[in-house]
Amino acid sequence: MLTLFDHEYLDLDNLSDDLTAIRVENLSLQFGTKHVLENISMRVPKNRVTAFIGQSGCGKSTLISAFNRMNDLNPHCRYQGQIFIGQRDITHKKQNVSELRTQVGMVFQRPNPFPMSIYDNVCYGLKLQGIKVRRQLDDAVESALKDAALWKEVKDRLFDSAAILSGGQQQRLVIARALALKPDILLLDEPTSALDPLTTLYIEELIAELKSRCTIIIVTHNMQQAARVSDYTAFLHQGRLIEYSDSDTLFTTPQQKQTEDYITGRYG
Amino acid sequence: MISNLLKRLLSSGQRQAFFIGAGAFFTGVLLLAMVSIVMLIAARGGGYFWPKEVQRVEYISPQGQARVVFGQIESEYQQEDTRVYWLYYSDAASPFAHQSLIEESWMQSARPAKNAARIALKDGRVMLAEPVSVMLPDDAPVSILRLDAVRDKVATIEQRIAELRENVLSDIHLQLTELDSRQVSDAAPARARLNQAFDKWHAQVLALESQRDSYRMQVRLADGYETTLPLNTLYSIDYTSRLSFAEKLTVAVKRVGRFLSESPKQANTAGGVFPALFGTVLMVFLMTIIVAPFGVMAAVYLNEYAADTTLTSVIRICVSNMAGVPSIVYGVFGLGFFIYGVGGSLDALFFRDTLPAPTMGTPGVFWAALTMAILTLPVVIVATEEGLRNVPQDLKAGSYALGATKAETVWHTILPMASPGIMTGVILAIARAAGEVAPLMLVGAVKFAPNLPIDGEFPYLHLERQFMHLGVLIYDGAFHSQTDAKSASMMFAACLLLLVVVFILNILAVLLRSRLRRRYEKR
Ligand SMILES: Nc1ncnc2c1ncn2[C@@H]1O[C@H](COP(=O)(O)OP(=O)(O)O)[C@@H](O)[C@H]1O
Ligand SMILES: [Mg+2]
Repeated sequence: MLTLFDHEYLDLDNLSDDLTAIRVENLSLQFGTKHVLENISMRVPKNRVTAFIGQSGCGKSTLISAFNRMNDLNPHCRYQGQIFIGQRDITHKKQNVSELRTQVGMVFQRPNPFPMSIYDNVCYGLKLQGIKVRRQLDDAVESALKDAALWKEVKDRLFDSAAILSGGQQQRLVIARALALKPDILLLDEPTSALDPLTTLYIEELIAELKSRCTIIIVTHNMQQAARVSDYTAFLHQGRLIEYSDSDTLFTTPQQKQTEDYITGRYG
Repeated sequence: MISNLLKRLLSSGQRQAFFIGAGAFFTGVLLLAMVSIVMLIAARGGGYFWPKEVQRVEYISPQGQARVVFGQIESEYQQEDTRVYWLYYSDAASPFAHQSLIEESWMQSARPAKNAARIALKDGRVMLAEPVSVMLPDDAPVSILRLDAVRDKVATIEQRIAELRENVLSDIHLQLTELDSRQVSDAAPARARLNQAFDKWHAQVLALESQRDSYRMQVRLADGYETTLPLNTLYSIDYTSRLSFAEKLTVAVKRVGRFLSESPKQANTAGGVFPALFGTVLMVFLMTIIVAPFGVMAAVYLNEYAADTTLTSVIRICVSNMAGVPSIVYGVFGLGFFIYGVGGSLDALFFRDTLPAPTMGTPGVFWAALTMAILTLPVVIVATEEGLRNVPQDLKAGSYALGATKAETVWHTILPMASPGIMTGVILAIARAAGEVAPLMLVGAVKFAPNLPIDGEFPYLHLERQFMHLGVLIYDGAFHSQTDAKSASMMFAACLLLLVVVFILNILAVLLRSRLRRRYEKR
């Protein structure tokens, strides 16, 4: 079923469960009294790149943070509705968030390597899972760095501090760190907005390669980037999901006035 | 009013220059005061070790008697328009060196005495005299040049005595006690045999001792008075007037070594300060071990776990204010709460059989360390919180995003990143704890402690023991110092040592902190 040709698009409204990575049902979210997300329902397809676009402050980061429950760190956050990953409702009280976050990795806007060696950065998550065997760690580090297209550049200085890497290398290190846990879903929150254009291109290529390994959700401000890397795009406006379709359609023939205004640059 | 005057007299630029100038001036004065205090302590403390020349001093006492003595000028100062010397000297009236104030106008002459030496005894007393000859047991005098050879002989006798005491006599004693414990009758032949052996060996020891004591050194004071000193009581003989600069330096270094490694003598006015140095360092070390984890735990709780409520704000304010509570109050708290409260309860629970004599409920090094830990806790908490606040939010998020729990994030990311801040707190705590005296005197620091808190006796670390502390030693010395130039000098030396200890502890902590900074703050 997953061997569809790239230009054949899935019907997002009637996506079958085995092609769905994330199913969002009537999700609303508030920070204190501020309503940030309003009644969002959507299905994110497996092994595809889905882009979230929208004006600054429209709730993109908040929405993808709901997928690995990073919003829990804010004590004022409340939400209603459900989010299903597989058959599990991850908004459930009994959901183990640590376990969830190992399955749903996240990469942030600013590269945030830990002040440790490159090797230790990649091992961080694995060590938390109790993996201590040196060989196992070595192998995992190597394959994660290869997946993140960083291995060639750092293989001779794995034990140097991650701080000496360039911004783009740091961002790929952070991606490797997440990939080391073999996540099913990778959330990228504006992963290239702090990087120069050439490095950005590099990361975009990487995203295209990673698609076969996991489902990718990318938040971006850059519409060309969304058009280039994503298969599907969701447009959010003031906490509502305005339009969600394959990227070709959304960028060439948007159905909603607000979407059109946004992609033609009338606001944002 | 003054500011109005200034405004009228000076332009704004000039006013600025005036205030900057005044600021610079006062900072300069303060710095100068600090530097001169340190210089004074360094000079007086260092001077304590520098061998002073033994001089032949002739003076007329206020009663009009002409005196001639061997003496060392310990210190001198100007009193109104006369110069006054603290003279440390020996004379016939009291051959062991003592001191008194001599005015310059009484002084007839003072010149180095090449043949006179500073003779220090093992018990800390000193005689300034001219060694004349060595007396053998048959009272036959031999040349003073043979002193070293004869002293070697005495040392062998001394060794033999020690052997007999430690091996033979104590062995017999042990066997006798064993008979006692088996309740063997007094008339038993075994007991008689042992008693006989004991008497025999004991008589031999006594004979050896009297033989040892009959090797003596004949000395002559400046006024011609002669006396003898048993060779085995001698500690060192320094002909300080004969020494070249380099030789004096060697003596000084040796004295520093002894000062650091030996116990005090003559009620803390002579000898070394090793137990006090050891006690200070041990107390600070224990305090650090206690305060660091508790302070860090408290700060982590306040900063990472506790919700931001009025209660936490109140706690924070209390913690900051605790840093300003006078230290003696902590001393009283330690005495009342730890020693009488906790220690007393432990006694009542576990050491009932020895009551009313307290086991735990008495001042000791552990209680002192605990009290100082309470005293320095606010410093550590405040500095650690500062460090925790500086940990970037995105690193915490990065850790959580990899599936770390809160505790794991604290342990693997937040604490390492905050470690320079924690070290700052520990540095401040160490500096404060090493310098405190008043609270320590209530909770375990004493002028003289017979044993170190660490020794070869099980359980090796005796945390319940009282201990000596440099600060207490200085405090004690300061009381003697008005009438005693010698112990004043020793006090300065102890001050210098305390400064050096605090300085070293600080430097170590600062080095550690800058290492941590390089590792965790360069991003
Ligand atoms: N911790 C927070 N507390 C309160 N409001 C927040 C918080 N984080 C974000 N918001 C608000 O939620 C809205 C959505 O934020 P975000 O998801 O970060 O937007 P985006 O990523 O689309 O720029 C914004 O209006 C922002 O002001
Ligand atoms: Mg955002």
